[in-house]
Amino acid sequence: MTAPSKTPLLAIRSLRAAYGKIEALKGVDLDINAGEIVALIGANGAGKSTLMMTIFGRPRARSGRIEFDGQDITDVPTHEIARLRIAQSPEGRRIFPRMSVAENLQMGADATDSSEADRASGLERVFALFPRLKERMTQRGGTLSGGEQQMLAIGRALMSRPRLLMLDEPSLGLAPLIARQIFDAIRTLNRQDGLTVLIVEQNANHALKLAHRGYVMVNGLITLSGTGSELLQRPEIRAAYLEGGRRE
Amino acid sequence: MSAPPAVQTSRAPGAAFILKKALISALVALVLFSLMIGVRTDAGPDGQLTYWTRFGDLAAMVATVFGGSIVLELLRQWWGPVGTIRVVPPAVQSTLSLAGRLVAPVLLVFTFLVPVLFYNERYILDLGILVLTYVMLGWGLNVVVGLAGLLDLGYVAFYAVGAYSYALLATNFGLSFWVCLPLAGILAAFWGVLLGFPVLRLRGDYLAIVTLAFGEIIRLVIINWQSLTGGPNGVTGIPRPTLFGIPLTPGDDGLAAMLGIEFSPTHRVVFLFYLILALALLTNWVTIRLRRLPIGRAWEALREDEVACRALGINTTTTKLTAFATGAMFGGFAGAFFATRQGFISPESFTFHESALVLAIVVLGGMGSQLGVALAALAMIGGFELFRGLEQYRMLVFGMAMVLLMIWRPRGLIGHRAPTVFLKTNQAISSDLVKEGHG
Repeated sequence: MTAPSKTPLLAIRSLRAAYGKIEALKGVDLDINAGEIVALIGANGAGKSTLMMTIFGRPRARSGRIEFDGQDITDVPTHEIARLRIAQSPEGRRIFPRMSVAENLQMGADATDSSEADRASGLERVFALFPRLKERMTQRGGTLSGGEQQMLAIGRALMSRPRLLMLDEPSLGLAPLIARQIFDAIRTLNRQDGLTVLIVEQNANHALKLAHRGYVMVNGLITLSGTGSELLQRPEIRAAYLEGGRRE
Repeated sequence: MSAPPAVQTSRAPGAAFILKKALISALVALVLFSLMIGVRTDAGPDGQLTYWTRFGDLAAMVATVFGGSIVLELLRQWWGPVGTIRVVPPAVQSTLSLAGRLVAPVLLVFTFLVPVLFYNERYILDLGILVLTYVMLGWGLNVVVGLAGLLDLGYVAFYAVGAYSYALLATNFGLSFWVCLPLAGILAAFWGVLLGFPVLRLRGDYLAIVTLAFGEIIRLVIINWQSLTGGPNGVTGIPRPTLFGIPLTPGDDGLAAMLGIEFSPTHRVVFLFYLILALALLTNWVTIRLRRLPIGRAWEALREDEVACRALGINTTTTKLTAFATGAMFGGFAGAFFATRQGFISPESFTFHESALVLAIVVLGGMGSQLGVALAALAMIGGFELFRGLEQYRMLVFGMAMVLLMIWRPRGLIGHRAPTVFLKTNQAISSDLVKEGHG
């Protein structure tokens, strides 16, 4: 992670994916370098979530190529991809409601063969980041508030000591203050541990301020890319996402 | 465990309201039943329509509805409105929680003592064996349904595979029970995997239908493969189990002769009792151990959210297959025990009715709760026997009991899911508040 390599950690080349006849990704190119936060913004139905899911092999890519750390993962089974230590906090959080917070977190570490020491330090790390989770450790996941569930979903993803963390709409349905906490936590993770993050967001303002680089997606295609601050200055971005313009 | 008295509210409706409600119910009953019960039609001797009235029965029915409605309304008032917070004195609370914690050990000790207490009551011993068999089946199915959340309506298939495995291996090759027991488990587990493969992609209702069909396929194969299984005639002369080679017979080499005590057929019954108890406890122990391991955790996570599991790197294929195999293995053990106990098996013992019964035990007991399953098995099987005198009504009574239980305890007798990771302090919010739409 520290070595300044030229090849990106995740490289996506002319990726196409579809649900039945409906083409959701129409040739997407995207790079994520180690140690950076990349934001993917776009309107509903632009294909942001699909792109994240396709990286995980669901749906499978129709054509194109996904490389993680130089390895082609386009056709690798979903659970194997997760074991390469690509973690995701899926849309809608998808925590395990009847299992306790502690068990939810353990689930994150179960598949990647981690030692007891790794688990313990992983738990410490998550609890340092989200002290609320420590307070609620024995509570059932389903009894947490929305913000706490989001923290749990991110915490669970972190338990596998990921090399790439993918977050799908982490601020969805959260109060602005809680959303800010979540974004702060992501920034902390990136600065302190050099964690590479791909964040999919509707909240373009927040996401672009947080990210080093950003991509804008429209109808299954990447239409714009640049550094976060660059994109924030672009008039079309401001019109479409920031100044109450049409969000279609 | 009677419910503590509700805090009396002054909003309770008066007698007039109750009477009015009961009258309306009675009126509805009168309209409904006047044709269904009040008039009876039949074909006369020449094929013409004859009918006669049964106003007595009709009156009785309407009166029952009237009375029942009053009772129901009174009960509702006594229970208090939904969501009433009942103030429970701390003393009662602590007694209750102590009692709750003591149920399992007390039950276990009592079970161990049953053959001692009821040595001369063959009927109770037989009933105990039957109950324990269903406890074991319930615990086995609990792995599949309760933990992994895979609705299996064909569990009896594995019971049958276990029973026939032992029966055929023992009668054809003369293998002893102790050799056949693991074999029966392995064969059943193998069939569990075989069932698992085609249903990997199925969930919920679709899975239930396929497992139901699987149960029937096994039964039909057993009926029709006459040359191997004896078809509807079943397998007879299945050897009785031995105590590690020592038979429990009146002969000179029997256990009684060796110990120098007088032979009694009860010895074998007691032996069978402890045998099934040991097998059931083994099932319980393995399940509890597995729950604390990653594989058990993965089963439970699979029940909660399959997509999230996959995203966490869990191989859902192997996780499902191991759940099917583990559950099936215990079913196979129970089947082998069943065969050796009965000495005779036929396809009639492995109908869908058995699957439904075991599933009912698991659901009523509270999916995933070991103690709940044991209590439910006791209530279901013991209850069936209790109501044997009321032969024609017992299904009615049990149907009612199930409906009521599902209304008041939608998660089963013990719906509380014990966590597998512990802390010193108890959790702040009870599991009862989750998922039923409260939180």
